[in-house]
Amino acid sequence: MKWRKADLQTYFQSKEYIDTVIVPLIPFGIASDVEAEKAAIQAEMITLLSHELEKELTGRILLAPIYSYLKSADRQTEIARMNMWSAEMKEQPFKHVFMLTFDPSWKKYEQELESTLLWLPAVQTGELNSKEMQKTVREQVGQMVELIRAYWQ
Amino acid sequence: MSDEKQQVSRRQFLNYTLTGVGGFMAAGLLISPIRMAIDPVLKGSSAGDLANVGLAVDDITSEPQRIDWTIDQVDGWYESEVNRSAWVYRNENDEIVAFSPVCKHLGCVVSWEGSDQHPNEYYCPCHDGRYYKDGTNVPGTPPLAPLDEYEQEVKDGMLFLGEPKPRGEA
Ligand code: FES
Repeated sequence: MKWRKADLQTYFQSKEYIDTVIVPLIPFGIASDVEAEKAAIQAEMITLLSHELEKELTGRILLAPIYSYLKSADRQTEIARMNMWSAEMKEQPFKHVFMLTFDPSWKKYEQELESTLLWLPAVQTGELNSKEMQKTVREQVGQMVELIRAYWQ
Repeated sequence: MSDEKQQVSRRQFLNYTLTGVGGFMAAGLLISPIRMAIDPVLKGSSAGDLANVGLAVDDITSEPQRIDWTIDQVDGWYESEVNRSAWVYRNENDEIVAFSPVCKHLGCVVSWEGSDQHPNEYYCPCHDGRYYKDGTNVPGTPPLAPLDEYEQEVKDGMLFLGEPKPRGEA
């Protein structure tokens, strides 16, 4: 399910089947050109990836709106905020909350998160619409599906 | 007084002209999609609305295989490329069958032999939905209907697929 009216209607009727939320994390920062470009690529990739993932598992997951944060922001403040998101969702009750990210800096704080961090190594920069990229995305989605299924078991 | 009213100032003249041209353009924008919809001659597609999915008929075996292709879709505001997939195989009567992989429960993507516990079936990872090889849902699992079947056509030895239709309507 996506965060849109039409999907929510289905969600309301089938709540017992939809027990998982995916939150894509996107860093933002425009101070340095290089960093900004990197962050923008990450944003495009994670959007693409999360939509593909949503397509595969649409009947059991809700794709939350993107959670964006400043690259320079204090991590502790962000973690507190992210945990508020998780708490809100777990009350629904969603059983599994996954944070999807390319940003390796979260790895360090994994223990403090009240959700499961799905960290993916960033893909090489390349044309988003190229055939190779499609293959890469497809593979990554396949792996993520397997991973999420392991948590469902 | 009335004399003055009849005079068209430069500004008014420009206004009228612009409204006219603008209106004409707007009408053009409005008309074209409708014309596309009602006038089949204007639709540029080869086998009706069926798309060549890049699979040679000779390569279709009795083992379901997944194929992916893209179509152009106009969806409200957006025109976009949409990915489609199907599970294609040849049944006992040597007919080609193409199933949509979208689970009839809540829409996850099913795969052929997607679970080790259930060989020879389509499996849905979301809520353990299952379907027999012929697409019928396994009773007692969440899906309540068989998998949708694609409209199909064979041309020059290639498989063309259209829209997935609920069983019985295909
Ligand atoms: S979506 Fe396939 S079993 Fe529920």
